[in-house]
Amino acid sequence: MLGVLGPFPESQLCHLLDRQWLHYAFVSPTTGHAVISNLSVLGVEYPADGSSGRWSPQRMAIALVYDPVHGWSSTQFNADAPDPAWSAFRLPHPHGSPGPFEVAAVAGLPAVDLRLSRTSRPCTAQTAPFGDDQFLRWQSEPGVRGSGTLRSPSGDVRCDLVGYHERVRGRWSWPVLGGWVFGFANAPSDDPAGPPPWSVVFTLIQPQYPQDAANGSVMLWRDGRMVRHFPRRMLEVAVHGELHRDRVVLVPPLAATLATAPAPAVPGRLLITARLGEDRLVLDFRPTTAARIANPSETSLKPFSVHELLGGCVIEGVVSGRTFGFEAQGIVEFAGDARDD
Amino acid sequence: MTTETPVTTASAPYTGARLLTETVVALSERAPAIVAAAAEEMREIRLGLHFHDGSKATMSARYSRLLVEPGVVGEPDVEVAFDDRAMNLVFDAQRPPVEQVLPQSLDVRGPRDRVLAVWRAFVLLSQRASGLRFVQQLWRDYREQVPRLWGTTAGGPAPRHSPHGDEPTGWHAVDFLANRQPLEPGDQPTIGGTAIAAPRLLWDGRRSTGWWELRPVTDADLVQTMTACRARANQEIDRLLPDREPKEDLYDLMRSYPTRQGKGLRPTLVFAACAAFGEKPENAVRAAAALELFHNGFLVHDDIADESTHRRGLPTMNAEFGNGLAVNTGDGLNLLAVDAVLANLENLGLARTLGLIQEAMHMCRESIEGQAMELGWIHRRVVPSRDEDYFTMSTKKTGWYTCITPCRMGAVCAGVTDPAVLGRFDEAFRLIGIAFQIQDDILNLVGDEALYGKETLGDLLEGKRTVMLIHLFRHADQRERQRLGALLHRPRADKSQDDADELLAAMRRHGSIDYATELADRLAAEGIARFERDLSIIPENEGKAVLRQIAHYVTTRPL
Repeated sequence: MLGVLGPFPESQLCHLLDRQWLHYAFVSPTTGHAVISNLSVLGVEYPADGSSGRWSPQRMAIALVYDPVHGWSSTQFNADAPDPAWSAFRLPHPHGSPGPFEVAAVAGLPAVDLRLSRTSRPCTAQTAPFGDDQFLRWQSEPGVRGSGTLRSPSGDVRCDLVGYHERVRGRWSWPVLGGWVFGFANAPSDDPAGPPPWSVVFTLIQPQYPQDAANGSVMLWRDGRMVRHFPRRMLEVAVHGELHRDRVVLVPPLAATLATAPAPAVPGRLLITARLGEDRLVLDFRPTTAARIANPSETSLKPFSVHELLGGCVIEGVVSGRTFGFEAQGIVEFAGDARDD
Repeated sequence: MTTETPVTTASAPYTGARLLTETVVALSERAPAIVAAAAEEMREIRLGLHFHDGSKATMSARYSRLLVEPGVVGEPDVEVAFDDRAMNLVFDAQRPPVEQVLPQSLDVRGPRDRVLAVWRAFVLLSQRASGLRFVQQLWRDYREQVPRLWGTTAGGPAPRHSPHGDEPTGWHAVDFLANRQPLEPGDQPTIGGTAIAAPRLLWDGRRSTGWWELRPVTDADLVQTMTACRARANQEIDRLLPDREPKEDLYDLMRSYPTRQGKGLRPTLVFAACAAFGEKPENAVRAAAALELFHNGFLVHDDIADESTHRRGLPTMNAEFGNGLAVNTGDGLNLLAVDAVLANLENLGLARTLGLIQEAMHMCRESIEGQAMELGWIHRRVVPSRDEDYFTMSTKKTGWYTCITPCRMGAVCAGVTDPAVLGRFDEAFRLIGIAFQIQDDILNLVGDEALYGKETLGDLLEGKRTVMLIHLFRHADQRERQRLGALLHRPRADKSQDDADELLAAMRRHGSIDYATELADRLAAEGIARFERDLSIIPENEGKAVLRQIAHYVTTRPL
């Protein structure tokens, strides 16, 4: 066999820093409930005694459920997750054929029991090389629809959600990776099974070095097909204000008992502009709440924090001379301020 | 700042001198740390200010206070003349001062080192205060009322917060945030959010700046913060109070003291200390409510013990409803306070709640020991001879529950339980607490009742052992001491206003009030030094910025 097994999510891990993430984020356009889940695998590590065997990769799973009345609830990092998990990137994977996605806390709550189905096509995969020999490769697909039950300590809710799915593969460590900002919004639609009329997914990866390593893009979908890719040189990303700290909830539950170190304030607004030729796009996101996921560091007491923000997103733009715009609930992730790995 | 002869009244004309005075007065009240830092630069310098409208003022520093007097008083060391273009040099957040300095618009004269010190003081005032909303409002009002004061500025209109300059820029992200769709002010958080911050670019296509990268922490607006913290704590007290009978004779009375206009110092310290250690302020809300309840329970009992008739401008509970109902209400408040501490179990967990119980118990013990010391002195007709006795009593009676415990409880809410870390608040806030108490005692003698909120000379009528009284009895001769002792030891009901006035006159004669003022200033300065040294373990953040402003509240408090 030549090279490693692939492509991800079937690919083989050959380095202790090799990572694979499957990311899921959904929001209900009608009730405001949201689900965010991340299934991660950290690469193999060789035993210190020099023996030739390998340790199993470290698998972690976390699921967050947001209820507009009762707020956030979260599993620990050891949630029960399906293996293999549903992914739009396992082929063949036709549209309109729902598959199960069940993630639950070991203690039982919160839990999500969803049927996910594709409505759209993924963007082209993008890669950000940085550091000395590190990289992050990602590919996302918006317009993923979910239907099922969200179970949280405040009760069970059945709802229909729409969101996005992403696969991330790479070899990276903190603080070399620095941080990132990414998110998405799907335009509301009357069709409960079809693709959203418009979707936007954006990414900004901000490695610590080299100086010019920052990478990102804004991508626009029309009826399930990607129609524009605004590359990194054509973007501007700005933030303003701070989200009240009282609206930032620390998760998972264990983090609160460990005197987790403070994190910087989360921006109160995110504004992205993109242009390419005559095409223009403005994305204006105003968070209303955030969950701070404190990831324990693998080598120190200082955690690495990922903030999942929910809020209103206003998008407007011009593509091929045609003006468009929509307002929707969006999910944005701010990660960064890692001081150790 | 203290204006010994106020130059501002509601009907005073809009002048440059008035604008400067009102700015410094507002800063002294709402952001005292800035005034203290400017006063540090201005030390020993008398600054004469000449404005283009003909108004003049003299500014000098005394300890950490900035004093502004109308007109030119004495021989200024440095004189500054602003012309009609230079007024916006100081607090115009729109453009940096360097863009506005025009030939001859700003005339500064004096020895070089002193001119530089004045310049540093103004730069400091300008840089740290111009982002505060109340300062911007003050200067905006003046600009609208007296546009001629501002004159014309060089280089056209002020540039927007755009790195792309003044030109229409199309699709730049910062332009959208600064101009086209600016962030409207939202609801105010308990801690932070009192200053205006410009939008930040994370990525312009070439350069990357992490969203997490720390920016300089802005100074907090203390008044706005204390109002928000007090309101949040009172809201929690309302939630904790049971909705059942007997309302009229118990629960309504329990609600009445906390809703009277207090400063909100304790809840602010709790929220700020919690935020300083990185926890969200909301986690401190029940601890803040508990402290307010304990405090009000103590006040009710204190008023009975002192036979006080007025509290925060209204009759005391014992005066209005009699001692029986008042004692019962005080008991009810203390019981509810215990309930509020225990209510933390559900959101903070067992360990932090145990820590809070320990802090609350310690505070209660210190307070009743302090109260016992003071009441014992009065009962035995003793006036202690040493200031240190007063310091001990004051720290026990009020220092712990006013300053030290609120900070420690806020830290516990943030998960800090290490005694060595919690202990770092003790000495700084002990000194600040004593200084605050001495200032409170001075204000009771010389302050305006409407501003102070308690009956003037009430302490003398109660026979309260203050630093001034201790100083007076230490310096009066034997015969005078006997006479004053006879006045002092009369039961309150038998004391007249004339008796209190006689004691006050003796204090003035012996310089007791000046002595106490100096002592409070010295203790406050020591407290600030300890604050900076002992609490250097806390990173600069919005919580620490509020704690620092409160610490400086005692250094710039008008006396």
